[in-house]
Amino acid sequence: MNENLLRPVAIAGAGLGIASIFLPWAYGPRILDDMTYYFGPSFLQVCYALLAVVALACLVAHFFLDRMSWFARVIAWNDAAKAASLGAVGYAIAVIIAIAVGGGGLINVEPGGWLALGGGALAAVSWFLPASKAPIFERLRCPKWVQILAIAAVMAVLLFAAAFALNQSEADGFLVFAVFLGAAIFTFHATGFFGWLSLAAANNRKVLVISAFTVAFAFPFTQNGSDANMSVAAQVLTFAATAIGLNIVVGLVGLLDLGYIAFLGAGAFTAAVMSKSVFATLSVDLPFPVVALISGTVAALFGLLIGTPTLRVSGDYLAIVTLAFGEIFRITMINLDGTDGPNITHGSNGVPSIPNLDFFGFDFGQSHEIFGIQIGRFSNYYWLLLLVIGLIILVFANLNHSRIGRGWVAIREDEMAAESMGVNTFGLKLLAFAGGAFLAGVAGSVKAYTDTSVSPDQYVFLESAFLLAAVVLGGMGTIMGVLIGATLLKLLPEKLRYFEDYRLLLFGALMVVMMRFRPEGIIADERRQLEFHDTDEELAEEVEEDLTTHHAHLNADKELP
Amino acid sequence: MDPTLFFEQVVNGLSLGSLYALIAVGYTVVYGIIQLINFAHGEIFMMGAFGALTVYLVLGSPTDLSIPMALCVLLPAMILGGMVLAAGTALIMERFAYRPLRGAPRLAPLISAIGVSVFLQEFMRLFYGRIPGFPDSKRGIAFPRIEGITGNNIDIGSVSIKMSSIFTIAALLICTAALWYYINRTKTGRAMVATSQDPDIARLMGIDVDAVIMRAFVVGAALAAIAGVAHGMYIGNIDFKMGFMAGLKAFTAAVLGGIGNINGALVGGLVLGMVEAFAAQLGPTAWKDVWAFVILILVLVFRPQGLVGAKVVNRA
Amino acid sequence: MSTDRSVLLDAAHVTMRFGGLTAVDDVSLQIHHGEIVGLIGPNGAGKTTFFNCLTGLYKPTSGAVTLNGEPLPPQPRLVVKAGVARTFQNIRLFHDMTALENVMVGTYCRTKTNAIDAIFRLPRHRQEEKVSTELCKGWLDFVGLADKANTLARNLPYGDQRRLEIARALATKPSLLLLDEPTAGMNPNETRQAEDLIFRIRDLGLAILVIEHDMRFIFSLCDRVLCLVQGAVLIDGTGDEVQHDPRVIEAYLGSPAEDGPPGMAEAAEVPNA
Repeated sequence: MNENLLRPVAIAGAGLGIASIFLPWAYGPRILDDMTYYFGPSFLQVCYALLAVVALACLVAHFFLDRMSWFARVIAWNDAAKAASLGAVGYAIAVIIAIAVGGGGLINVEPGGWLALGGGALAAVSWFLPASKAPIFERLRCPKWVQILAIAAVMAVLLFAAAFALNQSEADGFLVFAVFLGAAIFTFHATGFFGWLSLAAANNRKVLVISAFTVAFAFPFTQNGSDANMSVAAQVLTFAATAIGLNIVVGLVGLLDLGYIAFLGAGAFTAAVMSKSVFATLSVDLPFPVVALISGTVAALFGLLIGTPTLRVSGDYLAIVTLAFGEIFRITMINLDGTDGPNITHGSNGVPSIPNLDFFGFDFGQSHEIFGIQIGRFSNYYWLLLLVIGLIILVFANLNHSRIGRGWVAIREDEMAAESMGVNTFGLKLLAFAGGAFLAGVAGSVKAYTDTSVSPDQYVFLESAFLLAAVVLGGMGTIMGVLIGATLLKLLPEKLRYFEDYRLLLFGALMVVMMRFRPEGIIADERRQLEFHDTDEELAEEVEEDLTTHHAHLNADKELP
Repeated sequence: MDPTLFFEQVVNGLSLGSLYALIAVGYTVVYGIIQLINFAHGEIFMMGAFGALTVYLVLGSPTDLSIPMALCVLLPAMILGGMVLAAGTALIMERFAYRPLRGAPRLAPLISAIGVSVFLQEFMRLFYGRIPGFPDSKRGIAFPRIEGITGNNIDIGSVSIKMSSIFTIAALLICTAALWYYINRTKTGRAMVATSQDPDIARLMGIDVDAVIMRAFVVGAALAAIAGVAHGMYIGNIDFKMGFMAGLKAFTAAVLGGIGNINGALVGGLVLGMVEAFAAQLGPTAWKDVWAFVILILVLVFRPQGLVGAKVVNRA
Repeated sequence: MSTDRSVLLDAAHVTMRFGGLTAVDDVSLQIHHGEIVGLIGPNGAGKTTFFNCLTGLYKPTSGAVTLNGEPLPPQPRLVVKAGVARTFQNIRLFHDMTALENVMVGTYCRTKTNAIDAIFRLPRHRQEEKVSTELCKGWLDFVGLADKANTLARNLPYGDQRRLEIARALATKPSLLLLDEPTAGMNPNETRQAEDLIFRIRDLGLAILVIEHDMRFIFSLCDRVLCLVQGAVLIDGTGDEVQHDPRVIEAYLGSPAEDGPPGMAEAAEVPNA
């Protein structure tokens, strides 16, 4: 089809789509977030409009581009329009399905909903427009303050999106919003914005870290005192902290540890047994930081015990031996119940009713009011966990960018060559293995207190597999990737109770599919991105050159009949 | 230890060991050819048991069969059903989860294998029971009663031997013989040996390596299916997660004998079975599952090439 | 020219057997400080196996290797620390690391930063990191890769990968550098550059043992050449002596028909370890 025809059709579609949000989409106010008003769009309708506006803007931009040819190449306008309009269609479909399911049939979809779908579909004819040239957005050089502002803005959006998603108590609202986020990410990806952002992030690492932690720290304030969501958030943090620890072993050194959960368990049991619970067998009155250190050390000792013999043999065996170790750990914890062995863990019951932590009179079990916002028990633990994950990220990142990290990656890439270059491969592998175990042990000690109970059935092989999945899904060897992977894997089942029964099935399939199509995970290892960021200057020059030649081309094109 | 108890444990050890050995062959042939630890092989064993159960259910759950009918018609049909389901699963798995990853870093197929393992367990747990007339698969399912084997014993002196033990041990003997014949006396079997020694040269010699790999998966699956049936009769029930522990132990057996070596798998299985039987008798039962893993770790420390394996030279 | 210098590496009667197969048979070799020694021989003559005996990868079945009078330690990484570095016949770089990072792996055995230093960014880490970065940039510059420091190793052209491997080996501060076919797959121009590079390395005071098939390269480069055939030393002498020795020509090209069947060199092959 002719572009001159396609574009107006698509523009009209996008316009119709925008108009649709001023009509009711659903019959009945209980469906999603009340889409029943004329000229009173709900939040989820505004989300749709955002996609449609982006599509419209990108489509219309074409008419102004000849005069601003530099601008024409900054963003992949056509690609972005395609992505946004497709996203709008997908989102409209998701909303319509949610309305139909929530209200009991398609009859509940009001004309506005259909208009949104139709408008989106019309806009989606933009799919047949020619593809954009590779955008130069990611090579755009900006003043530092623009980069910092952009990072801060993205972080704020993230905080808002996370808070909104968590507050959706119904699965349908959560899912619809998730579809919107997916569509938005898809669109931004098409513009080339993420490339630019990751470059900006690489250049402003400190800003990124500080703003990420600020956002994470501020998160409990968005919850209006709801402790249920903070409980989920605390679980996500525990899981993510453990996964990052595992990522040292798997992502950096390339050792497949299938019993990693046992180290978390070792830490949790150590802390539980030493706690003031009436079921604790070794109650000692020690300050928590000491307990955390002891827990980590116990886990690390297990790591040494299992690593010393097995790290000398080939990597394949390690996977199975760690798996076997995980089983030994679980069985042992069950058997240390007083009948089959000394009573340490109370067998399969474990250690329940662990009292809350008390830091110099600060009781973690109490609610507090800060800035007029109720901060509940789980928020307290959330902040403690934030500290732990901060520590683990520090260890990961600083080791990664050091002599030791280079040795690890060298081992992962070619162990024999590393040994032949003087790298102490066995020592480094053992360090990673025991160090990873230590971090898991520390995380476990906090987990024991957060959960108030520890029992052997929390530390089974499937949990290890889940941790591995978080690493693989997010991206081996990255922090950001694992954070995303861990969040997805822990949050989705929590919010989508309906799917709970299928979560393992999907997870199994996901592992196979990821290995087949994107083994490096959602976010690829930053070493691959390194080529960009140190050569910023050169790139900028190159881009300038590109542009001049491109300009010449454009002029030449115009001279053709 | 009194002699009766001793002989009973020997029989227990032999039958347990035969089970492990039958499953271990699957690990070892696949490893021998593509150096992949087929983590999902335990689930193939589980599929074998479910396949046999399926045949039984499709035949209308026949009860009160005469012993010859049960042994000569029902049991072979069930074993065949188990083999078909197990081999089919193994082939699909090989095609979609492993073949695309050949040449990828070693971590990739291993992770993929874990995915397959979890997927198969969950698939059976969620969907097997939904077939009309099939029992709920979220819990253990009683394995069908085979007249002449289930519940029957043979008494030799004061020693009482379960028929299911005899079936298991006999199955191992027959399978070993068949496997020996296949590998040493048939063209396809020799192609398999050639491929395991040097896949590139084998390919140059005109051997279809893909076909050999598929055959290796099928051979492993067939033996695992027999083990699945034997397990069903020996223990009395089956469930979706039976493959996990059995697979782990069979892998231990394969490593114990020397992975990649078929004789090693047989020896390793029997040794492991014996050790477990006597450990369970002499030590506390609650710890019985630990010994296999302790052995696994000890073998890797002191003799990583296994009992039967030869030492591999590290090549520069 | 260099025999008057002191002995750096002394391999005495090194024999390496794999089962019934003798890959290296009673080879003795002395390398002096600042000397370039060539190791030649037909395919499968045991050159790489002998190399592996010198780098601690194999423990010789019999015979002894000493470095500066000390016996060679039993593990490759300790051998590196003692001062013997190597490159590989088939390039073995760390592909997903940058050129600079690859070289910095070489400094591993000369640095002492431990995990605590690195995690908390203690002075030792900062100090060593700074020094080794400068040092490694210097080595990259030395081999002519200064402008490729941040390129991933896998993205480097073939010739650059070879040079990067040499830079990585140099970063281990060796007193003896073992090069396994450094010009394999190079065009004449690149070979000339490699030759120049090896001379410059020698001028730094290092001794070099080089395996090569390119005879022109070997004879223009080496002070001394050792020819191995069927695992045993055929001749050990100056370039001129070796070049004109009829036995060497025979080993490579086979002898006239009346002396034996053609393709004797092939028959002499032992599996190249």
